[in-house]
Amino acid sequence: MSKFFTRMGDGFGIYLSEEEIRADIEEGTKDAADRAQIPQLSKEEMDHLYDIVTMPGIVVGVERGQEVVTTSDSGGCKISYHCNIAIDRSTAILIHEKVLGADSLDLGHIDYSYKAVKSVLHDEAAMMELTQLNSVIPVLYGSMPNLGLYTKPDGPVDNWAELLPLGRIDEARAAQEEAVEHAVKDIVYVAEGMYEAGADGMNIDTSGASGDADVLAALKAIEIIKQKFPDLGIEMGMAGEFILGMHGKLEYDGVRLAGLYPHNQVKLAEKAGANIFGAVVNTNSNMSFPWNIARTVTFVKACTEAANIPVHVNVGMGVGGVPMCEVPPVDVVTRADKALIEIGKADGL
Amino acid sequence: MSIEIILIKAREAILECDAKKAVTVAQQALEEGLDPIEVLTNGFSVGIRDIGDLFGRGQVFLPELMMSAQAMKEATVILEAALQAGDIAKKGKMLIGTVQGDVHDIGKGIVVAMIKTQSIEVIDLGRDVPVHTLIEKAMEYNVDIIGTSALLTTTLPEQRKLEDQLRKLGLREKFKTMVGGAPCTQRWADRIGADAYAEDAAQAVTKVIELIGQKN
Amino acid sequence: MAHEVASGMGGIRTAGDLVLRLQLSKSMKIHDAKKYVADKLGITPLELSDCVIMAEIREDLNLGRPMPPDRTAKGIEAKFRIAQLLGIKINSVERFKTKAGLS
Repeated sequence: MSKFFTRMGDGFGIYLSEEEIRADIEEGTKDAADRAQIPQLSKEEMDHLYDIVTMPGIVVGVERGQEVVTTSDSGGCKISYHCNIAIDRSTAILIHEKVLGADSLDLGHIDYSYKAVKSVLHDEAAMMELTQLNSVIPVLYGSMPNLGLYTKPDGPVDNWAELLPLGRIDEARAAQEEAVEHAVKDIVYVAEGMYEAGADGMNIDTSGASGDADVLAALKAIEIIKQKFPDLGIEMGMAGEFILGMHGKLEYDGVRLAGLYPHNQVKLAEKAGANIFGAVVNTNSNMSFPWNIARTVTFVKACTEAANIPVHVNVGMGVGGVPMCEVPPVDVVTRADKALIEIGKADGL
Repeated sequence: MSIEIILIKAREAILECDAKKAVTVAQQALEEGLDPIEVLTNGFSVGIRDIGDLFGRGQVFLPELMMSAQAMKEATVILEAALQAGDIAKKGKMLIGTVQGDVHDIGKGIVVAMIKTQSIEVIDLGRDVPVHTLIEKAMEYNVDIIGTSALLTTTLPEQRKLEDQLRKLGLREKFKTMVGGAPCTQRWADRIGADAYAEDAAQAVTKVIELIGQKN
Repeated sequence: MAHEVASGMGGIRTAGDLVLRLQLSKSMKIHDAKKYVADKLGITPLELSDCVIMAEIREDLNLGRPMPPDRTAKGIEAKFRIAQLLGIKINSVERFKTKAGLS
């Protein structure tokens, strides 16, 4: 029986038979459907996914006319800080624009948190002004709400990660609620500076990294920014496929945040005023690519169907069906792209 | 009350995060002359595994998980008091930490809470812990297991460093090692020579019990 | 890079930046945004991702290009034209006008 090359969620290459791939696809879509209470992929969609997984060629692509656009997270930092090539971020953005074909980029500081960048906002704003003079593509400013930074000793509020194991639940919750207010102020403050500097938009990125309070901070900040600057674009990017309930009782617009999956997350992002929603689905290192991508596409399809705003799926190391490895292999990255766009109906990546 | 009903109530107490109910069920079990180990294993522990699973699916949240762990702990104290000294001696000691360069410890905190419910002593060194500190403390506390967590692909090599350092110091056979974290896999554990890998908190509990059994 | 090869519009090589501007300013989903831009340019949505067709259009309308020769629009100048073409406000253009005393 012939076998097809694919990979595990940690990137390691494996050979699977048609039956094994089909079984993994079915299990993957079932897992997502069961968790989020959403429909599984149809038989036709699973067949299409099977074709994508087993397609000959190292690199595959979407059908002509199905191309989408891309936004980034901390894209301006990647050449200089991640690859250790000594260029400034403005130059990095121009390289992405003129050489790499990026549709947009975000200028982000290496200390990628709104709390951290507020103290260097003047420098960040100057970099944005310079970048805007020279670039043609939309350039956003990106950072994370990163609520953890507001806890002692780095910040003013008690550390809920220490309080929770001690059973001091009410205090832990109160600390998170206090941190939300601090974070909202910082995000709005940075957005004001970036608006004046000519940013095309704000990327409120990796929302939820510190749980449901982190998401609440992002939503509240977006609401205020939109009221102040209706023309400033906003992308809200998530941290994981469901909102981790560190608090557990926080609500936005009457909806409890903890435990929400992408198809429900996007509705709140819309309500707050976000223009683009960055959906995230985590990759399981221990499962195969067919399992991971079937699961991811199932979540994404439900999300894009629910959304009235464009959905850009996070597709990179450890998210969007892409294996959790530092150098993601193009064979699975391009297959993930094709599946997310053609079956998941993603509006962008 | 039959063993079946006690086991169901024990599981319920954990799922309802109800410490008072857990204590009452544990006391009832002893009054009925039931085997404390069976009540722990097939009742309370089932509840902990189930709530861990619900947490992993976003249906239960961290405060509830912590309250459940507390309920389990209180029930365990009562049931353990009824065990023979020999049974208690079977329990072991574990050192745990998030590796150097990595400050992610939400998952590790859950693992610690779950393992503690099994009456295993856990020394939690927190996050960003260098290999030399892990080894020094493992020696100091004379632990059975060293567990490490790494969330980033860039910090994963610290787990290998621990294995290498233990071998270099001639201490590898003294401790069992266990690894975990999002980028971690059984393949990685095999590559570096770790004794066990756990995908989530519930599996960590099972693996720790297995490792302690192997040591004894 | 893999994304651009497999599924990307290609930024200013084509009309990727223009389509994204519609997503960002009017929350348009991909096919609506493509249709909007295609209508403005008088081409089909399919042609938006064709770098030969779009190179000619970008040259004709002076919208900024990956390898812009001398005396062609670069940076903010290109964005003045893009804002006008698409009928949207581009923040950097608005701020530039304010700072330069043009509005």
